[in-house]
Amino acid sequence: MSTDTINITLKVWRQKNAADKGRFETIPVSGVDSHMSFLEMLDTVNEKLILEGKDPIAFDNDCREGICGTCGCVVDGIPHGPNKAMTLCQLHMRKFDEGDVIAVEPWRSRAFKVLKDLMVDRGAFDRIIQSGGYVSVNTGSAPDANALPIPMAVAEKAMDAAACIGCGACVAACPNASAMLFVSAKVSQLALLPQGRPEAAERALKMVATMDREGFGNCSNHRSCEAACPKEISIVNIARLNREFFKAGVLSEPI
Amino acid sequence: MQLDGKIPAGPLRDKWDNYRFKAKLVNPANKRKYKLIVVGSGLAGGAAAATLAELGYDVECFCIQDSPRRAHSIAAQGGINAAKNYPNDGDSIWRLFYDTIKGGDFRAREANVYRLAQVSNNIIDQCAAQGVPFAREYGGMLSNRSFGGAQVSRTFYARGQTGQQLLLGAYSALSRQIGAGKVKMHTRRELVDIVLVGDRARGIIARNLVTGEMERFAADAVILATGGYGTVFYLSTNADSCNVGAAFKAYKRGALFANPCFTQIHPTCIPQGGDYQAKLTLMSESLRNDGRIWVPKDPSDTRAPRDIPESDRSYYLEEKYPSFGNLVPRDVASRNAKEQCDAGLGVGPTGYAVYLDFADAIKRDGRDVIARKYGNLFDMYHNISDDDPYETPMMIYPASHYTMGGLWVDYELQTTIPGLFALGEANFSDHGANRLGASALMQGLADGYFVIPYTIGPFLADQGVSEVGVEHQAFADAAAEAAENDRKLLAIEGRRTVRDLHRALGKVMVDEVGMARNEAGLKKAIGAIQALREEFWQNVKVGGEQGNFNLALQKAGRLADYLEFAEVMALDALTRDESCGCHLREEHQTEEHEAQRNDEDFCHVAMWEYTGFGSAPEFHKEPLVFENVELSQRSYK
Amino acid sequence: MKWLTTTLGSSIGKKLLMAVTGLSFIGFLAGHLAGNLTIYGGADAFNGYAEHLHALGPFLAVAEFGLLGLFVIHVLVGLVLFWQNFKARPVRYAVNRSPGGKTIGSASMPYTGILILLFILFHLSNFSRFFVDQSGTTIYQIVSQAFQSPVYVGLYVLAMLVVGLHVSHGFWSLFQTIGLNHPKYMPAITVVGLVVSVVFALGFGFLPIYIAFIA
Repeated sequence: MSTDTINITLKVWRQKNAADKGRFETIPVSGVDSHMSFLEMLDTVNEKLILEGKDPIAFDNDCREGICGTCGCVVDGIPHGPNKAMTLCQLHMRKFDEGDVIAVEPWRSRAFKVLKDLMVDRGAFDRIIQSGGYVSVNTGSAPDANALPIPMAVAEKAMDAAACIGCGACVAACPNASAMLFVSAKVSQLALLPQGRPEAAERALKMVATMDREGFGNCSNHRSCEAACPKEISIVNIARLNREFFKAGVLSEPI
Repeated sequence: MQLDGKIPAGPLRDKWDNYRFKAKLVNPANKRKYKLIVVGSGLAGGAAAATLAELGYDVECFCIQDSPRRAHSIAAQGGINAAKNYPNDGDSIWRLFYDTIKGGDFRAREANVYRLAQVSNNIIDQCAAQGVPFAREYGGMLSNRSFGGAQVSRTFYARGQTGQQLLLGAYSALSRQIGAGKVKMHTRRELVDIVLVGDRARGIIARNLVTGEMERFAADAVILATGGYGTVFYLSTNADSCNVGAAFKAYKRGALFANPCFTQIHPTCIPQGGDYQAKLTLMSESLRNDGRIWVPKDPSDTRAPRDIPESDRSYYLEEKYPSFGNLVPRDVASRNAKEQCDAGLGVGPTGYAVYLDFADAIKRDGRDVIARKYGNLFDMYHNISDDDPYETPMMIYPASHYTMGGLWVDYELQTTIPGLFALGEANFSDHGANRLGASALMQGLADGYFVIPYTIGPFLADQGVSEVGVEHQAFADAAAEAAENDRKLLAIEGRRTVRDLHRALGKVMVDEVGMARNEAGLKKAIGAIQALREEFWQNVKVGGEQGNFNLALQKAGRLADYLEFAEVMALDALTRDESCGCHLREEHQTEEHEAQRNDEDFCHVAMWEYTGFGSAPEFHKEPLVFENVELSQRSYK
Repeated sequence: MKWLTTTLGSSIGKKLLMAVTGLSFIGFLAGHLAGNLTIYGGADAFNGYAEHLHALGPFLAVAEFGLLGLFVIHVLVGLVLFWQNFKARPVRYAVNRSPGGKTIGSASMPYTGILILLFILFHLSNFSRFFVDQSGTTIYQIVSQAFQSPVYVGLYVLAMLVVGLHVSHGFWSLFQTIGLNHPKYMPAITVVGLVVSVVFALGFGFLPIYIAFIA
């Protein structure tokens, strides 16, 4: 590992709170170790800002290993930055060159309010799950786990969909700020598994209704979501959601 | 202090049944009158909040992240143990119990651990029913693997994302209750104090991280499921928001802290690169199933790993522990890595790394098989280190990962403060001096789904519905105290940032209170911690303002806790003048460099009672009684 | 009937309406193109085709009104979606780059849609019996007259390229929306979609050129 350092310029979104209008701030950053992660670079910038008596840049992050789904900004126009299939915390500065000007913006969507700087409120995702993204099984009432065999291929497909980390990059990337990939991942996971079938119809209807209510845009099949998804969730799931939704809307009988 | 572990009478196998039969129940119609606060939404907290709400209690749940789905349980990779014995390879509840007790080097309570093994099977059933996509065999049955030194295949997994999938299962159950209005969820809240009225926990003060406001919440009982204190080492595999705050506030309010020196160092992490580094990334130890660990025999060997012939390599684990080889328990693997590096055999730019080599596995099984098993881990490693593990061996080094110590709890998971319960990693109860791989998920979910829902009933039934609300003066006092503390921190206006000081604390802890400890080092550490604490309160520069989102202020509060807590840790390590599990006192080793226990003097839980800022805590102990297993010297030869 | 309005009024329902109406337009265009190919058979063949159509009488009217209905749905729902999607991101990005996936066809759907709407009005005003007095002349004469103007030829050719672009995204996209995305069949559907859009663009687009310069 050789140590290279680069000098860059950040053009970063600053917004004091949800009510503030916000603006871009230009911050030159010198001597960035190219082995740093992008967030570690922001850490060092913040250290400096604190010592200068300025307000550090607020950004969400937690596990820093790409699984919690907390981090995420739009870097140079792309959610989570230029790396395919990776969250922002896994982006390293070796991806950038000397003299680069890097634009850093928060997720932009009517449904995700900016709280401060790069932090947004993704509560809409939680409310979508709360409206049906579960199997109604109380603790203690489960049958033996092997009582219901599930073909390996089905389990794998369900796992593909379940890999969603709820980061919101799909919404950020979608030209329409649609949440279809997120919703379809959960609907698919539970629609594929026999445990989820009893509530499949109701789940699809309710989760889509909540999604619409939260103010996300509509899916236009741009596939930007799939391209931006750090977990490479496929839009095949969106087609499955559509099927589940139509089946439910047309065939299910009112309870 | 009178300590009662409340271990139920009767033979080990019957204790949990006996307890449940004798436990007082809360009338179903009355349950909704009881308000319960659950702090934390990980496996333990999420499962508890959901299950208690299902039972009918009025639950308020708090999490520090922006969503309950992001608790750090999500980062667990490898799997979850259960005594299902699906592979028919000789597993049983008794064997899981015995392995856990023995793995913990006989420093955990028999009754708690046996209960854990008993409910382990229910967890798998519950999770499968929730739609957790566990790995399956072609016939559709659940797949198991052997994990972290176990000689049976009892680990259930969902690719390398078991923690994520189990957490999302608990999160879905919790979400269902939130949607139904049975749980009120508060996200982006950090517990800053526990409110006691009389000697009983009556509520909490939580910081609203977005507005900075101190909010008050009253309840009939408070349940802490706030995880461990691994970030005391600064660099650890834990998430950025992991901290000891909640448990430490409980300690300051009178709860005893048990075995703080029992911390687990995970052997397979990506080594540190530079000073800027914010965390160490763990790679599942399932990698040790197929990877072989080695270092060059000659410290001056600078050849690329692929160019070093077999004859010049030292596969030190396979040589020292022929029957377990690379699958020795975590502490043994970690300690040996440190030993090799201390002897100058380490590799990589810092000399603090060893090779984990997959060349033989790839030759044996083919690249595809290895990619299917570990593909995501290999990709992750490649991205971080810029090396391709399919081509060249990985470099690994141990990192702080899990803390076995925690708030002391009795069999009912109640701390020494009445009405304050602790679950999961936040308590000390089940792992003794060392936790086995794939057992953290098991314990978190056991506590949340299957223990606390039963054990909180008797307390509530005894106490009746609380009449104390947030108007009580104790809430105003606690909130004012917390706000005052913030003001104090902001007013220091010194020259060192919180991160800088935390890094300094971490260095002391890693060097002296890490994988191997000795008397002189621990005494030195205590002095260094005290000096750092003093410097912190005179020279920290927090920045930002009160009454707005202020991460630095949050972190300053957490570091302030650590600067007190670290001393308790070092003191505990110093007082436990024996080696056991992960706690290796260099003075006490067998001839084979194994931890040498001293059962005569230290077969107890060490507990610490807060006596005030800067003054030494008071020591208590709960003797450990083993009626069902024989204390043996652990040997992985 | 609440279920129907709820289902079709939802975001996915609206997309279904777009998909189903879009599919019927593809059917219509295929028929239209087949009919138009009679131009290559000369004036008589083309006029004969027109007479056949007119001979359908009331059936033709039903088809025309049906088409109009589908058209109104496609346009109105399309505009609603366009507006909603615009509103879903009140603050735009300063830097816009695509992470991938998006194509010129998909990005331009609302705009090509509006262009096609304008073109259709223009097209009907040129050739439809509702707008053009067709007594004492033949449709072939009207058409060949119109395409004496290079401006017309240019406009028509351009419009057909726009139609091709619209279909290039619309075709596979409608299958995705209906839920027919299967790893086994989607590659074929995508290829067919591209072929269809090229056939529409070339098939329709070459006709004015043929009439103006070759016939």
